[in-house]
Amino acid sequence: MLRNIQEWTMVLAIIGLITLVGNWIGYDVMPLQAIPGMLLLIGISVAGLILDKLLPFNIPAIAYISLIAITLSIPGVPGSEYVVKWTSEVNLLAITTPILAYAGIAIGRSWADFAKLGWRSLVVGSLVLLGTYLGSAVIAEIILRVQGII
Amino acid sequence: MNLWKDWRLHAIVLGIVIVTEFIGTHQISIGGGVVLLLPMLYAIAIGLGLYFTPVVKEKQSKNAETLIFLAVSLLIAKFGVTIGPSISTILEVGPALILQELGHLATLLIALPVAVFLGLKRESVGMTHSIGREPNVALIMDKFGLNSPEGRGVMSIYIFGTIFGAVFLGLISGILATALPIHPLSFAMASGVGSGSMMAAASGSLVSAFPHLETDIIALAGASNLISAATGLYVSIFIALPLTEKMYAFFIKIREKKNKVEG
Repeated sequence: MLRNIQEWTMVLAIIGLITLVGNWIGYDVMPLQAIPGMLLLIGISVAGLILDKLLPFNIPAIAYISLIAITLSIPGVPGSEYVVKWTSEVNLLAITTPILAYAGIAIGRSWADFAKLGWRSLVVGSLVLLGTYLGSAVIAEIILRVQGII
Repeated sequence: MNLWKDWRLHAIVLGIVIVTEFIGTHQISIGGGVVLLLPMLYAIAIGLGLYFTPVVKEKQSKNAETLIFLAVSLLIAKFGVTIGPSISTILEVGPALILQELGHLATLLIALPVAVFLGLKRESVGMTHSIGREPNVALIMDKFGLNSPEGRGVMSIYIFGTIFGAVFLGLISGILATALPIHPLSFAMASGVGSGSMMAAASGSLVSAFPHLETDIIALAGASNLISAATGLYVSIFIALPLTEKMYAFFIKIREKKNKVEG
């Protein structure tokens, strides 16, 4: 368990550092300014991962991470204004770039399988992604309009 | 274990981040829409390209795969702290957030008939019943077995999504949201498709296209992803898969009739 916690913390610290560099270059936020927010995000992630190991429920770790993060940032919860203010210095797109860089390196191993897929799989695969995304957006749009929200 | 000690991997990623963030975001207008070229999309392409050079060894690629789960948890935390302050908005749009999950069934309306008319048989059930990520692969394997046509079908979509999913959704979400008369917030709710990297790419493009809506987009995308994670598998088991079977039988009948007339 302790080894796990050490591993998670170290990995997240490294990804956090890389994110801060991207956050600086791409979004002009000085690393010093974004450090408190990044430390918070790392702390929330590690806490969620620990809960996932300790609690017996069959719930994915990301649910615990989400619940902790949401609870800490709800208005009225002590300190929530700092949570929101600090983490807003860490841009979403600065986090997504390193994730997709790791993903790019990882997916190379699936390339041989990908190259074997026939053209029909490519057509159907594109339509599956398009259908899922567009279908959800259309339903959301209809309901938001019926409710008069947009 | 000891993923953090793979300095070679982290140095490569740091290099990719520095290069791609310096290149920055570029836009290409096509018709009524805008294609957004974002650093994260170059990052996935450069990462994949480097896999085929001596820079990345098998070990780095394996470690990267295990590590993505941890990297995504940072993203989930960022989504979470954006949901908190918007909690009243989230509750207000709750019905749309929950019902858009059923929009995933649209893949049956669009992809299944095409699959059947391209000549695919039982494979098409595995291919089109869902977006084909890990829980869906597990479901199909459990029900039909690894070497069944359905199993081969879901694996082909899994592989397609792994390689192409994030780039595909990143590109089309920018184009669709700028070209179609559908509100960016509706697309934000659609971004939680049940895959971390696809959600990152889809919502990232939206934020980049509509910076003034950034907080709402992140909060709604995060909330929809949470709902997808909690309910997605059950929607697949109880609604999507039975419906796929029914529609498959229907489309196969039409195809056979058509073949008879022609033959």
